[in-house]
Amino acid sequence: MKKHVLIAEDDTALADMMGKVLSKYNIRVTITYNGKETVEALEKEVPDLLLLDILMPVLDGHGVLKFIREKSMECPVIVLSNLSDKKTRDKCKEMKAQNYFVKNDLDDDDLWPAIEEYLH
Amino acid sequence: MRKTIHSASDGIALKLKVLAKEKEDVRRKLVVTAREKEDVRRKLVITAKKLRIKAAQLAVTAREKEDVRNKLVKTAEKLRLKATQFAATAKEKEVVRRKLVITADELRMSRKTLEKKVLERTKDLEKVRAKDEAILASIGEGLVATDKNGRILLVNKACEKLLDWKEGEMQGKLLSRVIPMTDSTGKIIVESERLITKTLKERSISTTTTTMYYKRKDGTSFPVAITVAPIFIGKELIGAVKVFRDITKEKEIEKARSEFMSIASHQLRTPLTAIRWVLSSLKRENLTEEQAKLVKTAHETSMNMASTIRRMLMISHLEEDGMEPELEQVVLQKELEKISRLHDAHRQRNGLELALQCPEDLMVRTDKQLLIEILDNLLSNALKYTPRGGKVNVSVAKEGESIRIDVADTGYGIPQEEQKRIPEKFFRASNVASPVEAGTGIGLYMVYNIVRLIGGTISFVSQENKGTTFTLLFPS
Repeated sequence: MKKHVLIAEDDTALADMMGKVLSKYNIRVTITYNGKETVEALEKEVPDLLLLDILMPVLDGHGVLKFIREKSMECPVIVLSNLSDKKTRDKCKEMKAQNYFVKNDLDDDDLWPAIEEYLH
Repeated sequence: MRKTIHSASDGIALKLKVLAKEKEDVRRKLVVTAREKEDVRRKLVITAKKLRIKAAQLAVTAREKEDVRNKLVKTAEKLRLKATQFAATAKEKEVVRRKLVITADELRMSRKTLEKKVLERTKDLEKVRAKDEAILASIGEGLVATDKNGRILLVNKACEKLLDWKEGEMQGKLLSRVIPMTDSTGKIIVESERLITKTLKERSISTTTTTMYYKRKDGTSFPVAITVAPIFIGKELIGAVKVFRDITKEKEIEKARSEFMSIASHQLRTPLTAIRWVLSSLKRENLTEEQAKLVKTAHETSMNMASTIRRMLMISHLEEDGMEPELEQVVLQKELEKISRLHDAHRQRNGLELALQCPEDLMVRTDKQLLIEILDNLLSNALKYTPRGGKVNVSVAKEGESIRIDVADTGYGIPQEEQKRIPEKFFRASNVASPVEAGTGIGLYMVYNIVRLIGGTISFVSQENKGTTFTLLFPS
């Protein structure tokens, strides 16, 4: 069965590009452009991986993480944010202790192996 | 006959006797006379001597008399001269007296003028004083003058307005008591650390370097920029004058600028992230050698651009004092390898050798992002300012409770006379401007500021055309 990745990213160009890249690897992709849409998608179906942005309108990434914890969803999350400061990282960790991954500018080449890891 | 004869002979004998007696008398008289003559002669000799002496004395006297006469003549001449002079002086005196009379009249006249002028000048002075006071009152910045003990002497209107105190309520009181100062966290600055204390102690100007806050009478605060200068009369310190300015507006502008920077860099980052991810995913595809090379270069360039944006943001944060180090465990070797990978393309293109020496398991508790920024900058500089074929050596060691990182290159070096300018913003050494055009002079400025933030120190030794070694020491 095709693995399912949920993308939460308010920058449509970036979200669509990610979707296209992932689709190439025989992955089913759902794209949401704000936290509220993400939560609605999560309620419908828990994906194999959530790629989550933090700064989003309506409901931000922290809100989405809070929702996942409150619903005790078993959902691996990779946080993809430009906010790589420790406060944000700690907050993400707090919200969902396992399965977090905050990207910073230095590890572009680590991103794809990390995604692959969750989709095996 | 005989009698006659006898008598005759007796007569003769008598006569002879008488004669003899007479002769004897004459002889005696002659002797006496001779003696007397001798006496007279002697007396004459004495007299002659005396006369000679007298004559000599007379000669001397005559000479003296001549001298006296000459002197008298001279004196007479002098007296004549004096008399003439006296006559002249008398004439002059008369002239002077007349002049004095005229001057006295003039004085009487000018006293009246002077009195008038003094009145005018006093009015002028009052005007000037009023003007000074008006200027003082109109200075938009708060002004407080204190004596040498820091007690308030005078304040201007702006000061009264800014702090909500009246001058009368402040005068004579300790400045540091009347105007409490806090830092950005609201902590009260103790008297010994106040600028006024520093200025009075060090007799020099002091200025706020970070944002400080003044408390008004009602306890509310506002951000201030302060300059305190000593007041001297001659060489004696008599007090200090403090000028302060409400920088709420500047703070707002600064905040707006920082928000703009933040928004701008996020706006730049998002599309850049898309580009980077596409490129990094492309790198994993089966590409031809040429394609792979192009994609790799494009990816590196976009990574560099991301670094530049990150630095822009970081500087903006640094200058706002809005940065607090966030401590976490960092595995040094892992981070160093990551950083060095970022420079691989440049390094290979320029035929540079890079050696990393770091204990594999060395962990340090510090701010990861800040440490990465420091090392990235140092390494980037070392590689940038080393000509083809050179070598860069990074070595890490534990030194007591500190970590020591040396970044050594065999590059252009920094000219001796420019070395002290290294921490300046936008400074670039004169010997590298032409061989290495790309460079902003912001990297080391940032490094020096960040090193301070993580509680470390940085130093370097450099020799032109031999190379430079930067040494970073920071707590582990």
